[in-house]
Amino acid sequence: MVKLAGAFLVMTAGTLIGFAQAARYAARPRQIRELLHALKRLETEIAYGQTPLPEALGRIGAAVAVPLRDIFVRAASLLRDERGTTAEACWREAVETGWPDTALREAEKEAMLRLGTSLGASDRADQLKHVRLAMAQLEAEEAAAREEQRKYEKMCRSLGMLGAALVVILMV
Amino acid sequence: MNIEVSTIFQIAGIGIIVAMIHTVLKQMGKEDMAHWVTVIGFVVVLFMVVRLLNELFQEIKAIFLFQ
Repeated sequence: MVKLAGAFLVMTAGTLIGFAQAARYAARPRQIRELLHALKRLETEIAYGQTPLPEALGRIGAAVAVPLRDIFVRAASLLRDERGTTAEACWREAVETGWPDTALREAEKEAMLRLGTSLGASDRADQLKHVRLAMAQLEAEEAAAREEQRKYEKMCRSLGMLGAALVVILMV
Repeated sequence: MNIEVSTIFQIAGIGIIVAMIHTVLKQMGKEDMAHWVTVIGFVVVLFMVVRLLNELFQEIKAIFLFQ
């Protein structure tokens, strides 16, 4: 009886691990797309609104979904605090703290950090160029992420369940 | 008798599961990993068989060499 319960628990845990991994693969392209929308809004704010950076980031943060919202909202509040650091440092800190909550990887992080070096530090045309560069990089990453999702999402699910079954058989 | 039969079923189960994992990994284009899984499964099964053979030889020694 105890054995059966243990086997059931191991099976459940393995299956859930597999599903969690698969969900990560599924979440990555979606979050990249959200990031692209956010950058598009930022482009609009810079080009047509000429909004100050904290306000622009706050507005974007209000518009995007949860794991990415924290990054923008934190960057906006850090900028508002006026602690005597550069906008790049605030942006970097916000990205570094909020990143582990997202399903995004190093490539996207690099693009975002590179964008941060020019945010609020140069004239409008230059910032727009950097935003567009980051968007182009993210688009390439999105295509790769979709390909990866198609490939590995199903594999993770079945591997989780099969691995759990293997562990159960080995331990019986 | 009971223990040996359950071990044999265990080995069969490992074979089935490892074959399935191999198929899944191979379909997704990770053939190197698929081969590693097969090799590791083979080694595990080999250890179980060695343990059974050890028991068998102990029995034979006990019967024919009067230990």
